[in-house]
Amino acid sequence: MSVGDDKPRLRTHTALTFGAVAASALLLASGSSERTAQASPPKAAAPKAAATPPKDVFRNGEAGFVVTEISYVLGSDAKESGACPAGMTAGVRGLTEALAKTPAGTRKDGETQQSYERRLSLAVNTSADGQNICMNPAAGSPDPGWRMVTGRNLKVDGIDLDGGNRSADSCSHEEFQGTHGERGIDNQFYRVAGCTTGFQSTGQANIFQIEMYTGSWGILLELTGVDDLRNDPDVQVGLFANADPIQLSAARAALPFATYAADHDPRYRATTRGRIVNGVLTIDPVDVRFHTVVNSMTDDRDLRGARLRLTFTPDGGMEGYLAGYTPVENMYDYEYGSRHSKNAKGELAPERLRVQTSIGRAGALGHTCNGAYQALYQAADGNRDPKTGRCTSISTQYRIRVAPAFVVNASTKSVNAPLTLK
Amino acid sequence: MTQLSRRTILRGMMNGAKVGMALPFLDIFLDVNGEALAATGQRLPVRFGTWIWGCGFIPERWIPTSEGADYTMPPDLEPLAPYRKQMAIFSGFDVKLDGVANKPHQTGNLGLRTGIPVPGETVHAPTFDVLIGEVIGQGTRFRSLELSASGIERSYSFRGAGSPNPSEVSPVALYQRIFGEGFQDPNAAGFKPDPRTMVRRSVLSAVTDDRQRIMKSLGAADRQRMDEYFTAVRQLEQQLDLQLEPPAKVDNFTMPKAPDKTVIDADVEHVMVNHKLMAGLLAQALACNQTRVFNMLFSDTASNLRRSASSDTHHTLTHEEPINPKLGYQEQVAWFAAKSMVACRDFVDALAGIKEGAGTLLDNTLLVAHSDCSIAKAHAVEGIPMMVIGSGGGRVRTGYHKAGRADAASRIGLSVQQAMGVQVEKWGTGSMDTNRTVTELVA
Amino acid sequence: MRLMTAGKFKPSALRKIGLGLCLALAGGIGWAQQAPSADSSLTVEPKPAGGPLLMRRLTESQYRATIADVFAPDVPIAGRFERGLREDGLIAVGTSHGSMSAFSVEQYDVSARSVAADVTSEKRRARFVPCQPKSATAFDKTCADQFVTDYGLKLFRRPLSSQERDRFVQVAKAGQQKLGSFYEGLEYTLIGMLDSPQFLLRLERSEPDPAQSGALRLDGWSKAVRLSYFLTNSTPDAELLRAAAQGELHTDEGLARQVDRLLATPQLEGAVRAFFWDMLQFDGFSDLFKDPAIYPGYTSAVAKDAQEQTLRTIVTHLAREKGDYRDLFTTRQTWLSRPLGVLYRLPVVVRNGWERAEYPADSERAGILTDVSLLALHSHPGRSSPTLRGKSLREIFLCEKVPDPPANVNFSIVQDAVFKPGSTARLRLAEHSGNPVCAGCHKLTDPIGLTLENFDGAGSFRAKENGAEIDVSGSLEGKDLVGAEGLGQAMHDNPSVPSCLAEKLYRSAIGRDISTSEEPFLEYLVGRFESERFRVPALMRSIALSRSFYFVSMPIKTAPQHTVAAAKKGERS
Repeated sequence: MSVGDDKPRLRTHTALTFGAVAASALLLASGSSERTAQASPPKAAAPKAAATPPKDVFRNGEAGFVVTEISYVLGSDAKESGACPAGMTAGVRGLTEALAKTPAGTRKDGETQQSYERRLSLAVNTSADGQNICMNPAAGSPDPGWRMVTGRNLKVDGIDLDGGNRSADSCSHEEFQGTHGERGIDNQFYRVAGCTTGFQSTGQANIFQIEMYTGSWGILLELTGVDDLRNDPDVQVGLFANADPIQLSAARAALPFATYAADHDPRYRATTRGRIVNGVLTIDPVDVRFHTVVNSMTDDRDLRGARLRLTFTPDGGMEGYLAGYTPVENMYDYEYGSRHSKNAKGELAPERLRVQTSIGRAGALGHTCNGAYQALYQAADGNRDPKTGRCTSISTQYRIRVAPAFVVNASTKSVNAPLTLK
Repeated sequence: MTQLSRRTILRGMMNGAKVGMALPFLDIFLDVNGEALAATGQRLPVRFGTWIWGCGFIPERWIPTSEGADYTMPPDLEPLAPYRKQMAIFSGFDVKLDGVANKPHQTGNLGLRTGIPVPGETVHAPTFDVLIGEVIGQGTRFRSLELSASGIERSYSFRGAGSPNPSEVSPVALYQRIFGEGFQDPNAAGFKPDPRTMVRRSVLSAVTDDRQRIMKSLGAADRQRMDEYFTAVRQLEQQLDLQLEPPAKVDNFTMPKAPDKTVIDADVEHVMVNHKLMAGLLAQALACNQTRVFNMLFSDTASNLRRSASSDTHHTLTHEEPINPKLGYQEQVAWFAAKSMVACRDFVDALAGIKEGAGTLLDNTLLVAHSDCSIAKAHAVEGIPMMVIGSGGGRVRTGYHKAGRADAASRIGLSVQQAMGVQVEKWGTGSMDTNRTVTELVA
Repeated sequence: MRLMTAGKFKPSALRKIGLGLCLALAGGIGWAQQAPSADSSLTVEPKPAGGPLLMRRLTESQYRATIADVFAPDVPIAGRFERGLREDGLIAVGTSHGSMSAFSVEQYDVSARSVAADVTSEKRRARFVPCQPKSATAFDKTCADQFVTDYGLKLFRRPLSSQERDRFVQVAKAGQQKLGSFYEGLEYTLIGMLDSPQFLLRLERSEPDPAQSGALRLDGWSKAVRLSYFLTNSTPDAELLRAAAQGELHTDEGLARQVDRLLATPQLEGAVRAFFWDMLQFDGFSDLFKDPAIYPGYTSAVAKDAQEQTLRTIVTHLAREKGDYRDLFTTRQTWLSRPLGVLYRLPVVVRNGWERAEYPADSERAGILTDVSLLALHSHPGRSSPTLRGKSLREIFLCEKVPDPPANVNFSIVQDAVFKPGSTARLRLAEHSGNPVCAGCHKLTDPIGLTLENFDGAGSFRAKENGAEIDVSGSLEGKDLVGAEGLGQAMHDNPSVPSCLAEKLYRSAIGRDISTSEEPFLEYLVGRFESERFRVPALMRSIALSRSFYFVSMPIKTAPQHTVAAAKKGERS
């Protein structure tokens, strides 16, 4: 298994890229061996053997890590993969264009361009009962412009979450094949998002880690009770929200060996058992919850029955997948309509900000709020409600990379106590 | 002076690398309250201003590939090439958030201007232009002038939380405000020396009174050292003496004509016209001492600029336009970014077009041009592009590119305040807290 | 008499030896010198040689401490400070030589104005103005007199003459008349005092010595000032000024009482800190640059915290715990902050600030020579430097002077190989040994520096360089040793280490270089130091109680000429 092939794409999307570019243009006049200690490991052909971690990573049976890269696992762009034979999701722009062709959507006499545009925008963002569609997505009518990923023979890497579609807790769905022939990969979120422009490699939906690099949220991983980092049948695994901002170099790359405090709120702390086989870590499913930030507002990022498959890399870190089931209502909140987003003080953010953020995001990323909400439920494949028979969560795969870090559980006051999100 | 001075150490040093500093640093001819000495021996006021453009830049088209004086002018800065020697380019200086929520287009911009990032517009301190205005802006008709070229009446000059200085958006209204009722012939205005300056002058006299007695008690070497001290005090006295003289007359001042009415909106072509008109009026106002501090908002931080017949604004394009895979960046966004630098040149042209003393108004102005973010689609506040243009009457050195290497952007804010005579040794909070003057800019 | 070979020499004599020395060493020529012997029979202070009256400028830390002590620690100082002139390894010595630039005076004026504005502000005047004027808007001569007399004594460190007092009272009066406020008058007169050479410079005065006709001695105030800045890095406090006024500092008992009192104040830590900051040349951090692509962990926070880590360790060990100076080279005890944890690869629980920590036994680290501060300060921007490390160790801790490389050396042989696979510093430096021009000095520096090669240019641990295992064997004064711990132990056991400290501390205290006639006194000090089990506060006490510390030689000598070139730090090789 390898994540190497998609690496360049992931990197060009981050805010860090230009820093790295500028820094390298200015400073990397000469090569250095000392540099290799910090640089990304070389891209290797898959599947490759796991590396042996250096001694600094592992002390007293414990090893800590901080997530330094995270993004959704998506197939390659629809244009290349043929994932969207019926075209791309039309989004708000499509709805507006369609409306403009109807009599109701024609520019009236005396109407300025500006107020005409405002009228059309209001029309497509308001449901029949007068509510804002992003705040009340269920009230919206179906979005005829939404497109799901339906293409054939699509390769998407990740973890098989339901043991080959046999779970009673699941709903019927088609599974993906990995780039190296693995079967049964569950990634229904890709089905929903794969045909929107924002989730193409040129788009901007899959770069949410930028906010992590501003220090507003982060994820820690902790292994304890480890006898041997290459092979250990039973280790304790902790997945925590990071209570400290990520520590960065001058080139804005995450620094290894920084110390971070794990969030003390039990809702953002999960522990489970895991095992390491030939340098590959996997865990028993566990519900996890992290923070995520959009437009200065915070939401939870949930993942039910989360699993990990991480391979040690020569720099002492690990890379691989974090996957599980995101509750549809939660996925909708942080990815589409900011219904419950909180401000810096932890209160419900002002409605105006939430509405504008949601509408703006729909425009920018090429979706509609109601369309997304409906599509998420349509594709949902986890946590089936026995009463309705409807699935309430959607399989979600993250590609992650972690760097060695010291995870501490001391209750120290935050560096920005009065200013942080919590 | 034969001894090693701070400047001897710092001049030409840039992190160990040599940087040519062609312009002489005329600190001796400066005082602390915003005056430069004209060739005639009269004093010329020093001005400070900011020029903001929204939505950042395309790094590969804006950041010079090398540091120092001999950089190759990057494509997007090409319009400013005529001012190469009067311009210092600062790349890679960050607004450090320390986990403060990043309110796009606000947090970075106000963090840069106040030294304290805040998750919105509720600033925790005045913006640096206000702090500088308190030192150099005294005694002029307008404490500062705020202008906005794209029809938005806001500014990013804050006296405190909830107290922004609103912007003038219309060239016609701007003309009325400056040159309409209340305008006086700049050469006729009476001059009253500041009594505080007079007292400071008498303080220094008391300090030097004892000179002979002290000198007598010293050995030869110490006498020489003491003599150097008194020489330095003498220079301070001369600075104060200068302030007690009336300011230089404004040469060849002619009343500007009222501009014609223009269309005020966000169409970039209209904005360019209004911006140029306002820059010209502002330059005239500065020349005849109506104000010494200004803030020009070329485009709002969430830039509302648009091309005619297009409903996409610069800002929405940053979020919606796909990256051109051949270029590696967003093409239309790049167009706006490049256009912003053309506008910047227009603005600098207006200042450089007015003769003053042996040079131009630009020479006696320190202009900080900056944006609100680096890469707008990511709202990145790391490496916000900044420039210092004009030497502020010799108070800052220009003519080079300096890479910040993720240093705090507050270093620039601190340095320009110090150059303008603000008594500040450290500035900013948290990771933005700095006492490190950018020594290439000001020693 | 002890025979000195290439490996052993007398610090104070060697300091003055130039390039010829290295060539001589390369040729293996030894020479004889008298060594300071720790087991000297000098238990009584030799006849003092003394020095001239000095005019020393306050250092930045002294200025800050003085303002904090005269007024309050939170009184703002808005000006900036010129970097201190380093003379013969110490800024403390440079304070007697450097002059003031116009920039400096301008900045002193900025600071004076910020201090005076705060002190006389409506909010704080009740606390700082010792009297209540009859009216805030009229001039009150009695109150102004008292203000000027009080602060004149505190700031000039001696009573004002009546002319001086009248002059500053007159300024207050003129200010009140121009500006209408009594307090503004005080504000401006305070600015005047703070701008005065009497405040900015420590102008020493002598008086006839009653014990010896025709001889001079420091007057009581000047003695108090020497004592106070030496033991507290700040201005004399009220009790010391009182003792000076009473003439108590001229008696042995009176002096001892004040010395012991000052050594017991928390300010002692400030003095120890200031001295070591100077001795370790931490001002070098202001132009230290590390390539962020090579050392991403070396951030501006690290540059600040690295200095603090070492100074904290030193102050804790020497001043607080009254430890043996030599143990600084072997102790695993240290302090850590989060940014430093990244470079040390150690967890740091406390989020903001400092925690007491210990270098793990398997970390190869022990003693301050393995602190990031010294390792990074004496390295290049992108690589370590056994030469710079060895040179700085000799100069800082052994009081030796290693000459700068000759101007015409071709470094390309060394530099070209820096990043070649399998290339190590040892191999690259071996290239130098073939060149006799270089070999002499490199023999002095490299065998020391190579023991620290397990630490890269930013001070992080590494087992390999360019893929090759690093050999950390080396030698000091002819003794073979291995690695940083071996070096630390060798330094701990090296008698030159404590004698160098005694010499530097004494030179720092008196603010000038020492003459050959003071060598016996140094021997005496080293003997005292040893008998006090190398406790630094005890050494400070010995100096503060000695007659040499205060002795004024006759006649006043002309200070040596100092040039920019002499003040420049050695070129980095």
